[in-house]
Amino acid sequence: MEGLLSTIQQALQLLLYGDAELWAIVLLSFSVSIKAISLTTPLALLLAFSLAYGNYPGVRIILAFFNSLLSVPTVVVGLFLYVLLTRQGPFGDLRLLFTQSAMVIGQMILCFPILVALGYAAIQAADVRVWETARTLGAPRWHIILTIFYEVRYGLLAAVLTGFGRVISEVGISMMVGGNIMGYTRNITTAIALETSKGEFAQGIALGFVLLSLAFLLTALLSYIQSKNGGNT
Amino acid sequence: MTEPLFVFHGIQKTFAKVEILRKVDLSLYPEKCTLITGKNGCGKTTLLKIIAGLEKPEKAEIEFSGKSHSWEKIMPDICKKIIYLHQQAFLFSTTVESNIAYGLRFNTMTREQRRKSVKKALELSGLTEFAKKQANTLSGGVQQRVAFARACILKPKVLLLDEPVSNMDRQSREHACHSMQFLKSTGTSIVITSHVPQYFDGLADMHFELVNGKLIET
Repeated sequence: MEGLLSTIQQALQLLLYGDAELWAIVLLSFSVSIKAISLTTPLALLLAFSLAYGNYPGVRIILAFFNSLLSVPTVVVGLFLYVLLTRQGPFGDLRLLFTQSAMVIGQMILCFPILVALGYAAIQAADVRVWETARTLGAPRWHIILTIFYEVRYGLLAAVLTGFGRVISEVGISMMVGGNIMGYTRNITTAIALETSKGEFAQGIALGFVLLSLAFLLTALLSYIQSKNGGNT
Repeated sequence: MTEPLFVFHGIQKTFAKVEILRKVDLSLYPEKCTLITGKNGCGKTTLLKIIAGLEKPEKAEIEFSGKSHSWEKIMPDICKKIIYLHQQAFLFSTTVESNIAYGLRFNTMTREQRRKSVKKALELSGLTEFAKKQANTLSGGVQQRVAFARACILKPKVLLLDEPVSNMDRQSREHACHSMQFLKSTGTSIVITSHVPQYFDGLADMHFELVNGKLIET
């Protein structure tokens, strides 16, 4: 018990006194995950819109496919990407393995189905009069899409936050295609795994605090967004 | 009578194997108000949405500028001149001012011209006090007025009003009819659907009843 308290104390010291190595890991994690979510969001939401408003065959099958990918294990995505990016793989020449770019690509694959599925649910719930009103007032197609996105903004924001929560806390992809290289591809989750395996818990616990704080913050934000969303519909 | 703006020929629409519009013909004249009555679910809203280009018919021809065109071909051009207002006004979740300015963003007006137009529209509709308020927090009657002002500011050739006064008290109804009369006098063709034709006695120039998918002049 004493050992645990002492480790927690060390962890708090690392956080509060601004340990450079620890905060560099935190920064790298956020940088990679924000890039992944930012690059994925526009494309995923456009696909979600086309599924919600497009009248073409196969919509249900596409949706079922994305829904089934919601709970895909991150190590499977990591393995799939590793096979593609390894020297002998089809994209080996790009030399992306064990780089931040590979981590970003992996996280994009992970959050794409989340954004499509949750984005679709939000867009589909939009009042049909949004589209009709925008159209009858002469809005061009791209502006109608933006208007619908604006009307369901809380639902879309919830989808983005859920996606961000998933990618920042994943470990399988970062470990397999990032390689956990200090100062280059080591992020919060891979650092926790490494420090724990070395028996040095202080940094792991400190990083765990960061992830937990983020989880609480995201949950609070989601609750707030849901309350706003409920008030609007 | 002057030349019609648009003549719709042979509008056909089927829902779940039930033919609700059977080769409906309708001419829309400038400065005229057409009233369409009929039972619930007889197809009045569908007819208006087809005219507005919001719903696709199985078949329809439109005579415009002396030529006949298929609905699909001409609708992208003419739907900009036609505005449809829902039975229950729909306002975007922004301010009243921003709602009224919505359609003006898509023409060549400068920001200053737009601001002046919106200000004038707010004054004419008696909505100045609500300008900065969130539109969807207002009462149903005020929302209806905002939707009407938002449509009128665009000076449409045709305004389609789906049960426009169904949720209004007597005073609001009279105010709305007065606004429609004014709009009509500026050259706009107005089409109204209603259960209660008496409300539009002084306004409607033509009265049709939609019965079994056919428009019958009364």
